Amino acid sequence: MNGQSVTRAFILAAALLMAIGSAQAFDDSKYPNLKGQWERFVVRGVPGQPSFDQTKGWGALQGAPLTPEYQAIFEENVREQDAGGLGLGADHARCVAAGMPFMMVAFRPLEFIVTPETTYIIIADYDPLRRIFTDGRDWPKEIEPTFQGYSIGKWIDTDGDGKYDVLEVETRGFKGPRVYEIRGLPLHRDNQSVFKERFYLDKNDPNLLHDEITVIDNALTRPWTVDKRYVRNPDLHAEWPESICPEYNANVVIGGENFFLSADGLLMPSRKGQLPPDVRYFDKRRE
Amino acid sequence: MIHRLVMGAAALALALLAAASGAQAFDDSEYPNFKGQWRRMPVPGVRGQISFDQHKDWGKGQGAPLTPEYQAIYEANLKTQAKGDSGEWLGISCLGFGMPIMMYGGEPIEIIITPATTYILLNWVEHGRRIYTDGRDWPEDIEPTLQGYSIGKWVDTDGDGKFDVLEVETRGFKGPRHYDASQLPLHHDNKSVFKERFYLNKNNPDILHDEITVIDNALTRPWTVVREYQRNAEVRPAWREFICAEGNGHVRIGNENYYMSADGLLMPVRKDQPPPDLRYFPWAQK
Repeated sequence: MNGQSVTRAFILAAALLMAIGSAQAFDDSKYPNLKGQWERFVVRGVPGQPSFDQTKGWGALQGAPLTPEYQAIFEENVREQDAGGLGLGADHARCVAAGMPFMMVAFRPLEFIVTPETTYIIIADYDPLRRIFTDGRDWPKEIEPTFQGYSIGKWIDTDGDGKYDVLEVETRGFKGPRVYEIRGLPLHRDNQSVFKERFYLDKNDPNLLHDEITVIDNALTRPWTVDKRYVRNPDLHAEWPESICPEYNANVVIGGENFFLSADGLLMPSRKGQLPPDVRYFDKRRE
Repeated sequence: MIHRLVMGAAALALALLAAASGAQAFDDSEYPNFKGQWRRMPVPGVRGQISFDQHKDWGKGQGAPLTPEYQAIYEANLKTQAKGDSGEWLGISCLGFGMPIMMYGGEPIEIIITPATTYILLNWVEHGRRIYTDGRDWPEDIEPTLQGYSIGKWVDTDGDGKFDVLEVETRGFKGPRHYDASQLPLHHDNKSVFKERFYLNKNNPDILHDEITVIDNALTRPWTVVREYQRNAEVRPAWREFICAEGNGHVRIGNENYYMSADGLLMPVRKDQPPPDLRYFPWAQK
């Protein structure tokens, strides 16, 4: 009888082990809780539109460590914008993707989906999403250049409590042109930028997410690190707006020139004295 | 000694149970394996651009059960297009397709299952869908969108203790929306309701079905098709970055569509189309 009990107990233990083996396909309790809707952390009093270093104003106020060559490119772009043009923000104004790092500015709320193989960042604005591969892969021999780049990540248990708390990410393989923000602060046109990021929840506030981003770029005199932050929306059923860029975009770029669409749907100049678009391909007999 | 062994084994069993209950935050083995990259399944011999019923030609070849009113609207759409204009077709200017075109797999699709939401990453003009499976009810007010608001429910149809079908209902639309690029129309009242059933093929788990039934006031009866997607055998497939506005030669000004020429100038899309109204450039008027 006793022998039978021992056998049964061990069979039970073995069965439970097997059950756990199949059930633990994904143990999400090992990962930090990044669920929910993450909104851009707004720092009061900072002038301009959302910027790379969100604690400082956009454009020159960022204090970007640009090389003299890229400082000159940036200033030329500012002069163009001040005259009513779009400068280096022209592609963005045409609804072309922002790419890294601008795509992480969170004009629209972000969502993070953590799986063992991939962490997804749903951006759903100008840029669709990021896939951060955490399946242990190496860099591909050839990377098809994209605005968002190719991201490989690794989850780290920094405090040894058996749970991951930091996602370290490296991103390479870009195309451009890309800017840090709409004021036109530029990244190098060689598109050799490398981004190193550390995502983690704030130790004192789990509803605050940090994305510590270091940019290594040939338009910079040194690596540039900022701590971007996002705030979790407490609404568990938060609304996700459908963002379709051309739907609300009043910019029309024709032949490298930017125009506006008026409220009555007509073409308007974007700067004083701007000539209308060349309409030579239209039948002159109609005029 | 034997008593201690029994107690030890029982303690081990309890400890494992406790560990399992803590670890089973999300047991994805309860769900079908939708992982990977899903591509639209082309049907040889079917003509035209991608269509709602992928087993039939686009446009009239679909045999859509349109009401006489919407059949006439469709015929008018075809006449507009025959002149070179894209009419009310939003996709051409990257303004979005909405349901159901967004599900045609213009770019490969990825599906991520979590207990609360199933995400369909579309990577196309629309970026993705969220299908809420957290048991929520319909919101009192739904902000109308091209993709609609989707509530789903996982079902274990064969009683094997695992979910095998995701049933989805989608409402809350705006428009105009179409079934394909020939501008086969949905009703302008945007009251469409879509009922979908997602499931893996029983004989081939690398084929995913999306059985879609459309209930729409432009139809004389509900219209059901079964769409199919094929799983890419590549374990680490490449995901292309699709940016609709990049390289798009279509320009929409007001309600008119134009082309951009290779030299960056505005071109008409149809014969005798007038140039845009330039009244806000008075200094350039002759």
